Formats: sequence, structure tokens, C-alpha cells
Amino acid sequence: MLTTPPEVEIALAESAPSAGFWRESWRRFCRRRLALVALAFVVALMAIAAAAPFIAGTKPIICKYKGHIYFPALGYYNRAWENPIFAKDRFRGRYAGTLAEKDPDSWAIFPLVYQDPYRRVRAGEWPDQPENPFGKEGVPSRYNWFGTNPQGFDVFASMVHGAQTAVSVGFVSMGIAAAIGITLGALAGYFGGWIDVLISRVIEVVMCIPSLVLILALVAMLDKVSNVHLMVIVGCTGWTGIARLTRAEFMKLKQLEFVSAARAMGAGASRVMFIHILRNALAPVLVPITFGIADAILIESGLSFLGFGASPPNPSWGTLLSAGRRSIEETWWLIVFPGAAIFLTVLAYNLIGEGLQEATDPRLRQDAH
Amino acid sequence: MPASSPLRSLLLLVPACSLLWLISGCSSESAKSAAEKPAAAEASPSSESAAANRSSTETSQANNPSAQQEPENAPQGAAPTLDPKAPFELGNALEKFDPPSLEELDKLKWNDGRIADGMALLRDEKSSQPAPALTAEEALKLRNDSPENNAKILAALGVLQPEGGEGVNFDAKMIRHAGGDLNSTNPLFSSSVTDGEFADLTGLAIMSFDRQLKNFAPKDVVVSWQTSDDGLIDRFVLRDDITWSDGKPFTAYDVEFTFKLIMSDHALLVIPAVRGSGTDQIKAVKAYDDHTVVIFHKEALATNITNINFPILPKHIYENSVKEDPSLKRSAYHTEQEAKPVTAGPYEYVSRKRGEEFVVRRRESYYMHDGKQVRDKPNFAEVRVKTIEDLNTALLALKSGDIQQMELRAEQWADQTNGADFYAKNTKVTAPEWTEFHIEWNQRTADGKSPSPFFGDSRVRWAMTYAMDYDELINTITRGLYQQGQGTFHPTSWMFPKNPPALIKQDLDKAEDLLAEAGWTDSDGDGIRDKEINGQIVPFEFQLMTSQTETGIQTATLMKECLEQIGVIANVKPTEFVVMQDKLIKHEFDASLGGWGAGTDPSMQSNIYGTGAQRNYGQYSNPKVDKLFEQGVRELDPAKRAEIYGQIHLQLWEDQPVTWLFYRNAFFGFNKTLRGYNFGALGPFKYSPGFSSLFVPAATP
Repeated sequence: MLTTPPEVEIALAESAPSAGFWRESWRRFCRRRLALVALAFVVALMAIAAAAPFIAGTKPIICKYKGHIYFPALGYYNRAWENPIFAKDRFRGRYAGTLAEKDPDSWAIFPLVYQDPYRRVRAGEWPDQPENPFGKEGVPSRYNWFGTNPQGFDVFASMVHGAQTAVSVGFVSMGIAAAIGITLGALAGYFGGWIDVLISRVIEVVMCIPSLVLILALVAMLDKVSNVHLMVIVGCTGWTGIARLTRAEFMKLKQLEFVSAARAMGAGASRVMFIHILRNALAPVLVPITFGIADAILIESGLSFLGFGASPPNPSWGTLLSAGRRSIEETWWLIVFPGAAIFLTVLAYNLIGEGLQEATDPRLRQDAH
Repeated sequence: MPASSPLRSLLLLVPACSLLWLISGCSSESAKSAAEKPAAAEASPSSESAAANRSSTETSQANNPSAQQEPENAPQGAAPTLDPKAPFELGNALEKFDPPSLEELDKLKWNDGRIADGMALLRDEKSSQPAPALTAEEALKLRNDSPENNAKILAALGVLQPEGGEGVNFDAKMIRHAGGDLNSTNPLFSSSVTDGEFADLTGLAIMSFDRQLKNFAPKDVVVSWQTSDDGLIDRFVLRDDITWSDGKPFTAYDVEFTFKLIMSDHALLVIPAVRGSGTDQIKAVKAYDDHTVVIFHKEALATNITNINFPILPKHIYENSVKEDPSLKRSAYHTEQEAKPVTAGPYEYVSRKRGEEFVVRRRESYYMHDGKQVRDKPNFAEVRVKTIEDLNTALLALKSGDIQQMELRAEQWADQTNGADFYAKNTKVTAPEWTEFHIEWNQRTADGKSPSPFFGDSRVRWAMTYAMDYDELINTITRGLYQQGQGTFHPTSWMFPKNPPALIKQDLDKAEDLLAEAGWTDSDGDGIRDKEINGQIVPFEFQLMTSQTETGIQTATLMKECLEQIGVIANVKPTEFVVMQDKLIKHEFDASLGGWGAGTDPSMQSNIYGTGAQRNYGQYSNPKVDKLFEQGVRELDPAKRAEIYGQIHLQLWEDQPVTWLFYRNAFFGFNKTLRGYNFGALGPFKYSPGFSSLFVPAATP
């Protein structure tokens, strides 16, 4: 039996462990400053989206009313989370004045900006804040940082809440796409044979389905269109690229020794596929997912722009853009801010995707030569 | 002046639908197209049954260009099983009727009808008003930024041309705007606003109406008009100096022939709108000689006059050809007629480019007869009507002078027409129009068998009415340009009650109380009102359907915001026009935003609010209202009629089958060279003289 000489064993133990694939990739990713900035942008965007009701809104983040503590701002996430006591006491969504009026001992902490993405703030709601201007009067000002839309809704509030749409559309739809794509791609690549033939044909069929037409058909049928519907459709039609890449990776990797080793040790097919092969195949798959997120955001904005998005009032960047389109000569702020947001977000995802690609693909490493 | 021509438009426009359905709604973008399009008038599905069913004075329904094809699919012959190969039989949809002889008719007692010249009527009306404060040149320097300036501009530019035609530049060419393409040059196939405009320019009719929609027989066509004492017969004597554009005389036989043609059933002949627009209410039309034509009615009704509004085709052109090709469209001969129609109106067809424009020119044989001028000379040498569907593009064309007139959207009026770029070549004016917008509440389930859980209760409908924030609606969404709704008839119309309902102010407390009274409370604490119906907790969440126009969506969104404050969820659903129309007709909706334009006669509203009526989308039913409509159409005394319709107005208000939002104004941009425009109940063109009064002064600035 062959044994390692003791001195070699000692040398191995003493040298620093070599960096793993992911750590190595991250190190390389960090070298690309643009990609890093883009990642920071996306992380910030996600933070903004998650905390949207605390940044802009007209419902208190926390308030004490008649001896109890409430969190009405949660109503922005889900209507039922806004305590019914406020409906019963006929607050009608106007907390600022009504709280003090109904209970002098009450106190409340309001969001940073007292503006609402779903309605126009009227005069007298908030001390010293005038009513929102509308139409072409809605230029950016102290109270409306990014101006207002033709109906007088605050653009900043709409954009902050619209970030939720942008972020969730990207992640949820690509999450769905990745789940379907990776599973099917893995099956096809690992098993080959008739399974591969079948799945490949399915991929080709799905590639032929125009997701836009599917979405339009769905929008026509549904009573209440929400972003979830858009996400599901984009996800269910956008997985083909991911599946093909996964399949190719699996075909390549299943020939390697470590797969044979795993099999030899008695690992079942699913264990080999998802524990051993997948983690090695994931890097190239992440790239189309990142680009896919950018695409999904563009699709959602485009649909909202065309008026086929979620039922109004939906504070989406595309909706704002389309409101600006009709009076482009007067209301520049309806084009500039949401346009910039869409552009930057899509650009950021693309930069991240590119960074990932270069960081994880050894052939693209500059130092590899 | 060709009073007839406006009539024609009316014919398409109004009677057709008496109530233009302005679904596209609230005035915005395609609004124009859809709003006015409805005028277009299209097939009325039950036209053939209308004869049997007096109560549904079929108004044909609003339409827009995309829906124009629809009628094609629903041929309106009496029986759906008509044989396309069957020989054509003229007037086979008519009941057999033996007209009395001329001598017998002479024995009847006759009352003279009103014969007038639309232009002279307008001139009279204007002479009783104070002279405009400014000259046209001064008024054109004004910016239309206040009601006072609007009044000044309207007064100064509404000044009519001097009598005798001096000071008019008869060489002027005019370029108008149309929101949709011309479908057919044959007025029988008219199905869009643009078709109506073509018929308006090139056609002739024996009845017309003025700015207040009061009827008269135009002097240019009719020598005398008499109505029999029992109100069942109208006798017209036509002038003998009218000719068709091919030189043949225009006679009473043309009128009779066209009527019979319209009332013919054949599988291939599809007439979209005309028959259902009142023509089918006429019992018979008989020409006794070249100039005497008598119209027999089925009953003595106030609407008899407005039913005499069908277009007139040349008998000598179609008499034989219709037997060979009953479709009037397919044969080479009819294609040729379509390409070069023979018309009798002030303008004649020159050319058209599909999807782009059509051109008509002044017809000399219209105003000259045997070397003498017998009618007013039409004011334009040529009228070009350009089709530009996108209204932003149209506005650019107006600014650059490529078109000389267009109807503006409210947003365009408010935001895009204030700069020097607009006023360089144009001015703009606004005036009230008899058009109302509302949210219709469906009171029953789609099958009509049981009341809707939501809106079957009038307290709930009133709660909705009280929930709406009218200040916000009028001042923000409609930019203060529209007037708040006060019921179905327009406040300036003669039907409007003397003691009108007060304007509603938003009152959420009242709305909440009414909802609670009707059983809608938030029992499960999820912030949404609910009610136990048949053992199930039903949340108050409904769909609010609206057109895809900006104003429509904004109004619906505002309603949603208001209702959310009182725990009612409205899901706004912007819907494509054709789909919306289909859902409305099938009653598959909860609530819907829409609008109606005035018809020539208020009795046509029975088609909207009568029990089971065709346009009664919300399935409203009140026997009292039905009875009043029945009375209204039979009452011939104008004062009493006004009172009856006033009662209807008030009863409807009490029942709130719809929540009335606002009355829409007409907004128009005109090139500075144009003069002589005045607004009626249906805008600047749909009356007599309407378009005929426009002119370009001899020396334009």
C-alpha cells in the first residue's frame, strides 16, 4: 500500500490552505471596480425596496394610539397588516392630523418623506406642507424631490415603492427560471439518452413561446393583474438559456473523475447531480441569471410603459415613464428620474453579470496566460 | 347654405345613437376617436326587431374604428338564414301598405312645419346678442387662458360672413383633421365619425337641426313641409333645382328608393347603422311626383321627425345594379361607384388615400342651376380631411399648419397649447357639449336573475356617489375644465329640470353610514368591509372597468383611493374598447366608467335607462321611469315634454343607477385664418349650419 511520506504530509499541513473556487472568484470580482460599484448599487436598491414604506409614505412607522403601539406603515406591504382600529375610527388613511385629534396622548414616527405613491397629498395633511402640484406644475421641489406625476402623485415616493417592483420582479422571475432551468438542464445533462432528447425538445418548444404575447393574453384574462403574474410568466418562459448552459456543464462534468469517485462510493443520482456536480457547474449559470434579472426588469418596465402592467395605481418606473411620454416637452422629470433608475439598474445587473463571468471563467482570466 | 349636410352628420351621429357612447371615455387620447366615433354609429343588432318593439327606439351604438368591422359579422337581415342567392327584392322588410292617393291626402288637415335656413337662423340668433367686444384680429392676439378670454375669442371668431358672401375668400382650401379613416363613400355603409363627416360634406337631407337640436326642414332642399293633424304623416315638397353631381335631377323618387333600399333584407346587403337609427320606425315613404314625397309613420310620436334622417342615394345609379349585386359593394360597377360616388351635397368627391386623407371640392352644380345662383356658394374651393390617429402627432400637424382644425384633448388644452408655438398659427376655443361621464353600477348579476351583492342596493350606490372626491376630480384630473355632473341631462339643455339636484360634495361619513346601513361592515377586521350573503362572508371588492385613456384611468384610480378610505376595494381594470363593449352588453362587469353624448331627442335615453333596454348595461329598472319615457315620446307639446324629462332626470338622480361625474366640454384648435365657428350641443360641426359657416376672410392676416 502506498503511503505519503511523513515529511510531505507535514509540509502540506503547514502551508496555508489554497483558496476555494468561490473565494478565488470573489477575490477576482473585487478587482473589477465597476462590478463592485454595481453590486453596491444593487444591494442599496434592495435595501431601499425593502424599507420603502419607512422612506416614503403617509402612514406612521410606529405610533401609540389609545394606549397601544401600532405599525400602520406595514399596511403598505399588506393591507391586512394595518390595524383595523384605524378603519373603525375612520382615519381614512390620514394619520398626521387625525391621530392627535382622536387621541391627544398619541405619538407617531413618520417616514422620512411624507408622500404617498398611491395618491396625491392634499393641503393641510402635514403641517406647513402644501398640496402636491399636478400636471406640468409638478416640478421637483423641496416637498417633491423628483416632482409629481400628471395626477399629482409624488415621483420620489413612487420610485421608492417602485423599486420593490423592480427588485422583486428581477429576483422572483429569475428564481423561478433558475429553479426550472437548472433542474431540467441537470436532468438532461446527467442522464443523457432519451431524457436529454425529450428535455431538449421541450426547451426548443418553450423558446418559441413569445413571453410578451403570453403576458398580454394573461393581462386580458385576469381581473386584477399583479406583478406576481408577470413574474411567473417571465420566469416560466425565461429558463431555456439557463437549462442549456446547465446541461452543457453537466455533460462536461459528469465525465470527470470526482463524479466517478462519488458514484463509486455509492452516491445516488440526485446526490451526485445536486451535491457534487451542481456546485461546480453553478458559476457559468449565474451569469445568464444575472442578465436575466436585467431583462425581467426591462420587460416589467416596458409592460407598465405600454399600460399592460399591474393594475393601476401601480408605482412602477415604467408607469412613470409612460406618464411622462404624453407631455415630454413639459414634464422632463417624469422621464429623467425613472429613466435613469431603469438604466442604472439594468446597467448594474449587466456589469455584475459581466464581472461574474470574468471572475468565474478561467479562460477569461487575464493572469491565466 | 347646405343645411342638409349637417343634418347628414347628425344622421350618422345622433340618431344613430342618440347617445353616443363615449366609453373611451373621459376625453383623452383616443378619446376623441372613440368619443366621437361612437357617433359613428354602427350596427344595431336588433334593428329588425325594433319595429316590433317600439320602446326600444334603437339607437345604434357607439363605435370606434377598431370596432367598425363588427357589423360585418352580424348581418342585420330579418332572418339569419337568408339565402345569398335569393333574388333581391326592394323593400321586402316593410309591411304591406297601400298609400292613399294625393287627393285623399289633400282632404286631411295639415299643419305647416318649420322651414328655415340654418345660416339665417344662426344669424338671427346672433343679432339678438351684443356685438363682440373685439375684432377677430384682436381676438386672435389673445391667449385663451381664462373663461373671459374664451368668451371673447368665441364671440369675435363666431362672427358670420357678411350676407351675400362678400369678404369671403372663395378660393380658400381647408384642411380638416379626422381621428379615423374613411371606410366607405357610400353613406349607407357609414360606420365611423369620418364616414359621417364625408356624408356631411357631400350629402343632402330633408331634415336638419340647429344648435339646440331643434328640427327644421332646410330651405335649400325643401319648399314646404306639412304634418298631418294626427301626426302620422309628413308631406314634403322638394325644390326642383337640385341636381346630382352627374347632372341628373334630384327627385322625390330618390328619397323613396333609398328608404326602400334601407328597408330591404338580403343576405348580402349589410347596412351597419342607418336602419337602426330610426329609419325602421317609418312605416312607408311614397313619392307622388318628382317633388312631392310623403312619409307615413306608425304612431304619432315626438321622435317621428328625427327618424327622417336617412341618407339619400341616386335611384338612377343603383336601381338596376342592386338586383345584380345586392351587397352594393362587390360588382365592378359598385366598386366604380365607391371610387367615384354620385352625390347631391355642396361638395363632391375628388380623391382619397387609404389611411391618409380624402379630398372633396366645391360643386358648382350644387349652388348654380341654369346659370343662376340658387343656393349659397360653399365657402371652400376644396376640403381635405386628413386622418391622423395619434392625437399628439395631430397636434404637431396643427402647430405647423399642416391641418387647420382639430379637436383637442383636455390635457392638450391644458398643457400643450399654451406656448408661442401653438399660438403662432392657431387659436383655441372651448364650449359646453351635452356629454356626460359617469360610473355605471351593475345592479344585477350577469344573467340578470338576482341582484348584484354590491350595487343592487341604492344605498350602496349612493355611498359610492358620496365617496367620490369631486373637488379632486374636477380641479386636478379634469384641470377645472369640466363641470361637475348633475344628472343625465346637460344643465343647458331644455330637458334639464327647473329644480335641479344639488351638486354632491364628498362626504365619507355619510358614505360609511350608508354602507353600514346596507349591511356592509368590517366584521373580520381585515380592513375591508364585508357582508354575510347566503352564509358566506363576501368582502366588498369589485372590479372597476375603465377605458385605457389617461383621464379614465386617473378617474378610476381616484375612485379607488376614495373607496379605500372607507374600506371598499375597487380594482381598476383598464380595458380595451372592444372587450369593454362586449362585457357591457353581456352585463359582465361590476362597475364601469363611461359616457353618453346627447341624442337629438331625449326620448332616446329610454334605450339607456328603460327596463331591459339595449344600452341599459347596469340593468337598472324603474317602472316609473319606463312610464315617463313612454309618456315623453307621445307628448307633442314641448313644454310638457320638458317637464316629463325633468321628472325622469330627477327620478334617475334619486335612484343613482350611475354616479354622474362630469359634463365634458368640446375643445377645439383652429387655424387663425378660419372664421365663423360656433358651437352647438354636439360641438362646432354637428348642426346646421355647422361646418358651412366656416370661412376664410378675403384678406387674411
